[in-house]
Amino acid sequence: MIPLGDILLYAGLAVSVIALVGLISREIKNIELLNKLITPAIIAGAGLLTFSYILLTYYFVYSNFAYDYVWQYSSADLPLIYKISGTWAGQQGTYLLWVWVVYLSAAWLALTTKHVTALARRTQIITLLTGMYLIIITLVQSPFKLIIERPEVVDMIAKGTLPPDFVPEVGNGLNALLVNFWMTVHPPLMFIGYATMTIPFAAAIVYLFTKEDGWEELGRQWARFTWLFLGMGIAVGGVWAYLVLGWGGFWAWDPVETASFIPWLTLTGFMHAASLHRKNKATFSIAAPILAVVSFILVLYAAIVVRAGIFNSVHAFGDSSTGTLLLVFIGVITLVSIILGMRRYFEEPDKQEEDRGFWNKTNIFYVTLLLFVVLAFISFWGISFPAFIQITQGLKVGVASDTKNFFNIWSYPFTIILLLALGFCLNYNEKEKEEQKKTLFIVIGLSIITMFLRTENFYVLDHASPFWAREPALYKMIGNISVISIFPSMIYATWSTIQSLRTYLRIESIKPKIKGTGIAIVHFGVVFILFGAIISSNFTHTIESANIPLDSKGQLVDIGNGYGIKIIDFSTHSLTETKNTPSGAVSISEIYGNPEKYASNNVKISGKVTNVANVQSPPPVTYTTYLKINDGTYTDGLWAATQANSPLEYQAGLELTVEGFLIPNFKSNSTGSPCTAVTPCNLIVFSSPEQITEGTTAPGSYNVQSVRLEVYQDNKKIGSGVAEYLQSKSGSGTFPLVDSSITGTDIYVIFQGLGGGIVPLTLKIIPAVNFAWIGIVLFAIGIILIMAVRTKSKGG
Amino acid sequence: MRTKKLVSIIVLVLLLLFAYLTYTTALKNFTLSDKNSSYLGGIKFHRAASGLEEGFQIAQQENKPVMMYFWAIWCQYCAGFQTNTLGNTQVKKILEEDYVLVAMDLDIDREVAQQYAVSYPPYLIFMDPKGNILQRVPGSVDANYLLPIVTKIRDDVRR
Repeated sequence: MIPLGDILLYAGLAVSVIALVGLISREIKNIELLNKLITPAIIAGAGLLTFSYILLTYYFVYSNFAYDYVWQYSSADLPLIYKISGTWAGQQGTYLLWVWVVYLSAAWLALTTKHVTALARRTQIITLLTGMYLIIITLVQSPFKLIIERPEVVDMIAKGTLPPDFVPEVGNGLNALLVNFWMTVHPPLMFIGYATMTIPFAAAIVYLFTKEDGWEELGRQWARFTWLFLGMGIAVGGVWAYLVLGWGGFWAWDPVETASFIPWLTLTGFMHAASLHRKNKATFSIAAPILAVVSFILVLYAAIVVRAGIFNSVHAFGDSSTGTLLLVFIGVITLVSIILGMRRYFEEPDKQEEDRGFWNKTNIFYVTLLLFVVLAFISFWGISFPAFIQITQGLKVGVASDTKNFFNIWSYPFTIILLLALGFCLNYNEKEKEEQKKTLFIVIGLSIITMFLRTENFYVLDHASPFWAREPALYKMIGNISVISIFPSMIYATWSTIQSLRTYLRIESIKPKIKGTGIAIVHFGVVFILFGAIISSNFTHTIESANIPLDSKGQLVDIGNGYGIKIIDFSTHSLTETKNTPSGAVSISEIYGNPEKYASNNVKISGKVTNVANVQSPPPVTYTTYLKINDGTYTDGLWAATQANSPLEYQAGLELTVEGFLIPNFKSNSTGSPCTAVTPCNLIVFSSPEQITEGTTAPGSYNVQSVRLEVYQDNKKIGSGVAEYLQSKSGSGTFPLVDSSITGTDIYVIFQGLGGGIVPLTLKIIPAVNFAWIGIVLFAIGIILIMAVRTKSKGG
Repeated sequence: MRTKKLVSIIVLVLLLLFAYLTYTTALKNFTLSDKNSSYLGGIKFHRAASGLEEGFQIAQQENKPVMMYFWAIWCQYCAGFQTNTLGNTQVKKILEEDYVLVAMDLDIDREVAQQYAVSYPPYLIFMDPKGNILQRVPGSVDANYLLPIVTKIRDDVRR
């Protein structure tokens, strides 16, 4: 039987075919037979996909583990928000989200244009084709696949070990790294951004094909929307890396984050091209549509990188079956756009406009476009060629001895040129051109001179890093550039942005004023982000492996370099809704965390036996059985011991619940005991055989250890907060303490889980990182201001 | 128009040059040859899922604990972890003499990683010869932190 969700997708495909046939027959033969059906069919398609997404969400909320995808990414005890975010935790769900948004934009196109113009109809055809292809991809890897179709389940049903209508009772659970607010918003931002790129792309293809006017206006708001969503998605991914992965930075040139950054760069290029193209249709008449198409192709490429699993990345959790389908899609679009682009290029009459020399706005803008293309290419090449070598030659290669070095050295010079172009263009004035050129040359001169300044360690590449020595000569040469060289162009760009803001604010009419302010704010954002990124990555001070014994709770412990950490409190809790201790069992990490509370008291622990030792003891007792119990909340388990007349036959791997008396610092003289005079057991539970029962009252499946601590520098408190460590059966995650100060410096402490009575911490002092966050917020504010103003395109 | 064309051609040529240059540089300098474990800090590891089985057999015969190391080629912390922590003379000596070492490439041995709930590198899992997990050490810890752990686990298993 076909699941309901798949039926909805097939139905969506069917109505799209009706709409498509209607549109095409009208285009080619001018048959208006199906005319009345087109818009309703498209809206029905959007409705069906909306319904299927709601259905998937419903399955997640009610933990319907009959569906493989729900089982894989959810569990019944998760809080509601993580059940909902489970819908986009995996490949299948994100495809559905993507295609749903494509259909919503198709419906928008149908309702706003009513398909009156040829441009609208043709754009709709391309949009629908894209949507249908994505539905097919979704169906190939359907989120509605039943769990009984899983190969291993099929096997077990065939063998009779599982009933044919098998439904698991508990879900596999969400990856601990994804149990986080930022991860609930990151995937939808990304995939909505991917989807909203469809209309600008479709319109650009139509324009390349038939020179239909008004294409830029049709796609304009969508392109801005994509820019915002993709940008924010990347930024939120950075925040997540910073706050959860404990990378200690927000950008590591991981293939996946880089892959999404590439279309964002070309899209930025497109928006610059479009801003001149809309004023004069002859300007960038090929560059603008090509950039839109390229951005869409790169979006598809990013989807492959994220999900296909051929790239070496921290994200690599994909499956390659749909990767091939996406690759075919990319191949077709690339081929079509190259042919169309070439045709347009040779058709275009070589305009014999007067030669205004190199220094005019169009040319400088063109250089800017090329810079975006160059930066995009560097990133594209850096993530692609190692994968290419691996596929073709079976060799694993790195791009540099440290991956990020490759991207940093190659991007750095072009970033400076980009800032120079920003400084020159944003405040460009035809009348003061000569004056402005002079300023530009001075700044260029300063940039070059400052490249050679020597500092302690403020270079493009970190000379103190162990990777530095292993880089080849050329990389060392660029890596030797002093980062002071960023400042002349940065100050120039800032000054120019301020000037342009002042000009815009002087404008009387309200619309250009708001739009101009938006443009200025976005460019301030650029400066803020670059400043934050460069300063924070160059001046972060790290003290690794500050291992604080838990015993020293309340005391200031020196960790070197004048820094100290005081642990205020340690506690554990369960993230999930199920009661942690249904029958009074205490989690082992809780016991290790607060031994004074539990020692010399009765405790109940519950978990898996990881170690068994039977020891013959001196009379009157004959045997002592030691059992190490591990409940997964603490890296090391807890010993329990009981005495009986004969050895107790407990196997490792058994689940037990043990109740007994907790004794600190236990030593035994018997040989074979795990607790000896040399290695005493810090804590041990003494129990009687009757108090050991089989079966477990497992603590919740998502356990959080939190350390409340204070950070000191030269005995002065500089930060405080809570660092957390989350452990679950599907992995663990760190949630560092991040204490921001007004100066923009973050106190950043990573806690890697209690082990052996030690709290392992890493302290980082990260300056200026908040500038990057401010810059991202400025990006959002600026583009929203630009979007808020709807200006008419000339001749559009 | 001419200026634009000229600039485009120059940029295109430079990009191709860049692509060629970085490609050959990577092949020449940054091939991460795996066979001799040079990337794994020069320590001999059993590799992949088959290596794990083999490792347990040896561990049972010689009554040694098993240390499973999860790494990845793109893992920036792994390189330092291998030289400074696993490569620390004291740690390395104990590991090579008293442990059965198995390394898992997170990109290739995904099933093993999933089975042991490992989601990021570097990550160590210590097990007794029967395969019971004794301790998990996630992240790039330093030698001072790891040394007592490897000593204790060795002694525990020997006992």
